[in-house]
Amino acid sequence: MLTSLKLTSVSCRLAILLLCALYSASMQGATVQFHAWGGSAQVNGYLEWVSEQVEARYGIEVNHVKLADTSDAVSRVLAEKAAGNLNQGSVDLIWINGENFAAMSEHGLLLKNWVSQLANFPLTLPEKNTAMVTDFGLPTQGQEAPWGKAAMVFYYNKRYVSSPPKTIHELLHFAQRYPNRFSYPLPNDYLGISFLKYALIALNPDNRDVFYQPVNDTVFRQRSEVLWRFLDKLHPLMWKGGRYMVSQASTLQRLMSDGELLLAFSFTASEIPSAVKRYDLPESVRTYAMSDGSLGNVHFIGIPFNSAHVEEAKTVVNFLLSPEAQAEKQKVAVWGDETVLDMAALNPMQQARFQSETLHPSALPIAGIYHLLPEPHASWTDKLREAWFARYGERF
Amino acid sequence: MSGFHRFSIVMRMVFMCILIIPVFAGLIGVLMPAFGFFPALGENQISLQPFSQLLANDNVLSMSWLSLSTGLIATLLALMGALLLVAVFYQRAWLNRIQHLLSPLLVVPHAAAAIAFLFILSPSGWLARLFSGSDMNNPLPPDWAFPYDPYGLSIILALTLKELPFVFLMLLSTLSQPQLEIKVKGYLKVAQSLGYSQITAFMTIVVPMIYSHIRMPLLAVLAFATANVEVPLILGPNDPPTLAVAVLRWFNHVDLSMRFQASAAAVLQLLVTLTALACWWLAEQVIRKLSRHALLSGKRTWGDDVLTLLAVAVVFVYSVIALLLLASVYTWSVATYWPFPQLLPDGFTLMHWQTALRSLAVPLANSIILAFSVTVFAVVLVLLALEGELQMTKHMSAAMGRLDRSIMHITLYLPLLVPGVAFLFGLVWFQQMYFSHLTWVHLFVSHLIYVLPYVFISLAVAYRRMDPRYVKVAYGLGKTPITVFFAVKLPMLFGPIAVAFALGLAISFSQYLPTLLSAGGNIATVTTEAVAAASGSSRRLSAVYVVVQIIMPLCGFILAWWLPNVFFKPSLKANPKNQGIKVYESNP
Repeated sequence: MLTSLKLTSVSCRLAILLLCALYSASMQGATVQFHAWGGSAQVNGYLEWVSEQVEARYGIEVNHVKLADTSDAVSRVLAEKAAGNLNQGSVDLIWINGENFAAMSEHGLLLKNWVSQLANFPLTLPEKNTAMVTDFGLPTQGQEAPWGKAAMVFYYNKRYVSSPPKTIHELLHFAQRYPNRFSYPLPNDYLGISFLKYALIALNPDNRDVFYQPVNDTVFRQRSEVLWRFLDKLHPLMWKGGRYMVSQASTLQRLMSDGELLLAFSFTASEIPSAVKRYDLPESVRTYAMSDGSLGNVHFIGIPFNSAHVEEAKTVVNFLLSPEAQAEKQKVAVWGDETVLDMAALNPMQQARFQSETLHPSALPIAGIYHLLPEPHASWTDKLREAWFARYGERF
Repeated sequence: MSGFHRFSIVMRMVFMCILIIPVFAGLIGVLMPAFGFFPALGENQISLQPFSQLLANDNVLSMSWLSLSTGLIATLLALMGALLLVAVFYQRAWLNRIQHLLSPLLVVPHAAAAIAFLFILSPSGWLARLFSGSDMNNPLPPDWAFPYDPYGLSIILALTLKELPFVFLMLLSTLSQPQLEIKVKGYLKVAQSLGYSQITAFMTIVVPMIYSHIRMPLLAVLAFATANVEVPLILGPNDPPTLAVAVLRWFNHVDLSMRFQASAAAVLQLLVTLTALACWWLAEQVIRKLSRHALLSGKRTWGDDVLTLLAVAVVFVYSVIALLLLASVYTWSVATYWPFPQLLPDGFTLMHWQTALRSLAVPLANSIILAFSVTVFAVVLVLLALEGELQMTKHMSAAMGRLDRSIMHITLYLPLLVPGVAFLFGLVWFQQMYFSHLTWVHLFVSHLIYVLPYVFISLAVAYRRMDPRYVKVAYGLGKTPITVFFAVKLPMLFGPIAVAFALGLAISFSQYLPTLLSAGGNIATVTTEAVAAASGSSRRLSAVYVVVQIIMPLCGFILAWWLPNVFFKPSLKANPKNQGIKVYESNP
């Protein structure tokens, strides 16, 4: 009798303790503050879906803080560090890459070595795809997990062109065969400088490590030589004899629509089928990736060093890396952002998720990117742009 | 003098200050950094460094030349075309028809006209489709030089197309001034009775008489043509571009130190425009000297048939181009896929309109709010300023009156003669330095600078021409000045006020550079969106923007013509010629 009483009182106390613990946990608020650029209706819509899923599965609430500029969140974390806020930070997840990552990493604003703990991270095959652990030439050191990737894809008009160029050298042959039907934007444009980076890397097949280190004059002169020779030959064969180059990448699409160009390129593969649906590109457009590599950059998710919800944040990131979430993100109707998972690491069931969609004929085929060329170290970009303008004149 | 009169004289001062102060402040704001002085960027020393940096650029000469040559040629062509049309068709029924053809083109914003030109000039446009349509073996658009041709021919074409109606209507409104009209018609009759053909008589007698009246507007056209941004931005080459486009690019460069070079280039732009004006003046002198002999030669006809043929050709080409432009943008705005060289798209859809109208809602609202507030303010201020002028000049000696008039005249044309790229940037610096958060106020002021002169010019003639007897009778009946102003003058001016209002709206709608600069890109209007979309990915969306740009000012003018008929039209009864768009010359 007594013992049973004792037992019940113990179990009661335990139950009360447990309730208290749960209660305090929920009081702490498992709301993960996800700071991400909010300028795209598609991205925002996808994050709403993520929020619903995560809440249903793990009971974690995700709040998308819609940033106008990612650097706002970076400076907020920096200000918190300066103010001595070391574990109650207001940012739990941040969507970054490139210079924002470089800045956060430099100031020690990101949590280190957590990415390899994620169950789904190995699905990206990081040993094979070094772009998953390199951000504009900087090693990520486990501070950020890959989320999606953008790669340079080319598109051509099948009605006039039967075999599009598959390598940078074939591109020159294409220009010779179809003079005045290719162009690239001026290098102040993002896509313009990206084309130059692609050409530079593709024309230097050996010892590419230098591109992922800070540039110096000697190396730049050695490596860029072949690029200038290539461009000197290409420019006279380009649209308007290379005398006029568009200043905005979007113009390329319009010129493709009119047939003034027969080959163009983009960083957002999903925009091509949607342009076809809007009649801005002909039905006969086809998208593909170069076989000598596609310049690509991966965008990442980081956890600030002072996040108040580190474990929940990791759970969310692991979900973002799951085949299910990645497949949803890749749907053209949702976002159309390329997955970071390597198909080779997935079982047939998981692979099927990515193929469930019937693709528009003009869309990039599934797994159409053969080989991702990571973005070179950021210092190469400025050097390349300056050298281009010095050589080909200041254009507007 | 009554309180109301004193108030109106003060308002006239305010009016002049609004035109003068921003222009001079802007010029100072550009001159300082052009000479290396800009404390905000840590430069406190006067130096010529920005200029030497600018001149080190190989393209400076060719940029300046491109600005100068396109501006001069376009203005000359517009003037010749307009003179030809008036000379051949003056006192003929066709003149009215041509006026109706050209008037709507006047209110189309430059940016819209340039984009529409882009549509027909480009290798996949209608012209190319018409002329290379049959060759099915090579169904690709031709590789021709337009647009973006290195000599700026596309710019010249678009500017001429836009400026010709302006010069033409200026000529007509000058010719419709009562005293001048009587004189012109009398002289023409005498000349014709002496055996001069009508065209020769017009060229030899009337043109020298009316030229001085259209001189200022003509110089304003020239200044605009040498320094405008939107037309060369949309149609011009970029290796190198015109100087004004380069100034814009340098000012907006991420590297803030480029602003010194940009300021130096803005000063150079001022010199280029001055050079153009000087060239024009020189040409006037030479023609005056050389033509003296020709005018007095006694020759009765100067190839009238050829001139008539030419004029008919101008009208024909003009109608075709105008029609092509309009039809082309309307068609693109509803086109589904439209492969080359088909003359018509595969089908039609309202999809682009739906997409565009959704994203245009905010810019449209911005445009309308801005244009309405600026125009209401401008019309009220101009009416008060005109009343002030009347009160002020009443007691002036003749010489003082003339001086006052010419000061007013120069003030009016100041913002139209000083290139926007030269003073707007300087103005923006002052704005950013002192009142950086008042974006709407800056936008308001920079639009007002451009709206005020046109509203003034458009209202001045009607105001000055008003029959003074009504006013005298009203005073005789013991009315106060304020009652006379509101109860007698304003109702009589209802028609002209409506037209001036519509003109003010149209001018505000069409502003590109002032909007872009004053708002720092934060407040979008239909025009800024349209220029941005011109280089965007969708020709169809861009077409919708252009159509909206054309419809907006037209709505204003249709209301301006219609409202006086609905309400009352004492001024129309007093003078039936007041109908139509007339940008009146302020009589010197």
